[in-house]
Amino acid sequence: MFGLHKRLWAARPVKSSYDAVIIGGGLHGLATAYFLARDHNITNVAVIEKRFIGFGGSGRNTAIVRANQRTQENLPLYKEALDLWPELTRELDFNLMFHNCGNLNLAHSEAALKAMRLQVASAQFLGIDSRLLDPKECKEVVPALDISGRPRYPITGGMYHPPGGIVRHDAVVWGLAKGCSRRGVHIHQGTEVTGIGFEKGKVAWVDTDRGKIRTPRVLNAAGGYSAGIASRLMGLRLPISVLTIQAMVTQPLKPLLHHVVSSGAYHCYANQTLKGEIVTGAHMDPWPNFTTQTTAAYIKHQAEFVTEFLPCLKGAKFMRIWGGLADMTPDMAPIIDGHVPAEGCFLDCGWGYFGFKSSTVTGRYMARYMATGECPEILQPFALKRFQEHRLMGETAALVDYSANN
Amino acid sequence: MAFTITCPICGPRSGYEFRYGGQDKGPRPDPAEMTPETWCDYVHMTDSCPGVQKEWWYHRAGCGIWFTIYRDTTTNLEVSPDSPEAVA
Ligand SMILES: Cc1cc2nc3c(=O)[nH]c(=O)nc-3n(C[C@H](O)[C@H](O)[C@H](O)COP(=O)(O)OP(=O)(O)OC[C@H]3O[C@@H](n4cnc5c(N)ncnc54)[C@H](O)[C@@H]3O)c2cc1C
Ligand SMILES: [Zn+2]
Repeated sequence: MFGLHKRLWAARPVKSSYDAVIIGGGLHGLATAYFLARDHNITNVAVIEKRFIGFGGSGRNTAIVRANQRTQENLPLYKEALDLWPELTRELDFNLMFHNCGNLNLAHSEAALKAMRLQVASAQFLGIDSRLLDPKECKEVVPALDISGRPRYPITGGMYHPPGGIVRHDAVVWGLAKGCSRRGVHIHQGTEVTGIGFEKGKVAWVDTDRGKIRTPRVLNAAGGYSAGIASRLMGLRLPISVLTIQAMVTQPLKPLLHHVVSSGAYHCYANQTLKGEIVTGAHMDPWPNFTTQTTAAYIKHQAEFVTEFLPCLKGAKFMRIWGGLADMTPDMAPIIDGHVPAEGCFLDCGWGYFGFKSSTVTGRYMARYMATGECPEILQPFALKRFQEHRLMGETAALVDYSANN
Repeated sequence: MAFTITCPICGPRSGYEFRYGGQDKGPRPDPAEMTPETWCDYVHMTDSCPGVQKEWWYHRAGCGIWFTIYRDTTTNLEVSPDSPEAVA
């Protein structure tokens, strides 16, 4: 009976050369490989993954998708990403479980409301559905909210974004791997890239623990490990700090939360899965580290703060907790670039804790960049040189530095 | 696992009493010879390799001193400045 099940993706021998090598079998790497094959007929591609596909952030995130960011550079990318989920579900013939339940982001001060007003206007300008709500309207959307004066930071309003929601992250990993494999892409799990070789100012090969692979194009899409790979193997330092970020789920509860609710002031967010568990996430560890360890400090923070605005969750038991890595840049925007430090080297990293929602669309444009050598206009603002030119993006109102209570 | 940092004045204390101050990147570049590259490198760029790094900390909930330690970012454990891994 088990013999009837066909593997979603095939294991193949490692070839000595490929037209493109992608470091990292996360969503950004897999999506790029998929679109190289689908849109550009470049199918002689290898995705090299140290552990197993989805081992990194792609299998650990809290699956929130939305397109109500702050800046004119980021918004169009995230909007296209949101529109892509139904299309990919059909095309990959794989249920990605896109649940566009909507996101409600709470404000707890007049200043936060003012910032939201700007953010809502920017989204609306680009045709994205985003609305400002007063506390009563917030309560109509999410009846479980405490809009009284009791919490330390009372709710002063919210930003409601109906088209956002949740996508099953594992399904996207598996669906894309299946799509890649069908189109001839090789996925090599359990294979680590240990070196990158250059000839005459161009990338020429990668070394792996399963041998040397010649290739004219390499994409560094190794998530939390991409900055280390850049500095050690590409000789390129990046403005990235890597921090552990944790998430938890509670025991299953009756349906009580039909949206993704988040609060900047309390540094946490929550949504209820179709199984009934409340998924919650929060801020990162206060210092850079690669441990992915879970901490008591985090559990305490989360329990205390989530129940401030959702008091009905008091007494609910946490069932599982896990950690992953967030590769953060100072302006909370990714680094997407090509031909740095040498021709044929591409970068797609710095996605922090927000790189799930954008993975497929970034892969599509990155594939075009790698195939044509020309950077698509939509990716140009994310180039590494913005840091040297003092053109940091305004995704966060102030420069971020990664310590507690900054 | 508890994370402990050794303050040169107060001794070993809970990591949560401190504020992280970034990788120690050595002296500030000389303004006379500074280029956009060297300034950007000093302000923004990091190695971000898993392993031991020299870094700044501030004893916020304690004596208020700034100091450096060596820490292994894969374990969150302090490393003695005399150990072979502790190269800035
Ligand atoms: C707890 C948590 C919650 C999050 N929540 C959200 C959310 O709600 N919404 C959202 O949009 N984003 C979220 N994110 C962020 C999102 O998960 C990441 O930005 C995204 O998954 C990055 O994808 P990636 O493909 O770039 O990297 P990853 O998925 O991290 O993949 C990188 C891969 O590279 C491999 N690798 C590393 N080194 C090597 C090497 N030398 N050779 C070969 N392979 C190598 C790793 O094993 C890994 O599998 C969250 C992240 C975490 C940790
Ligand atoms: Zn002290």
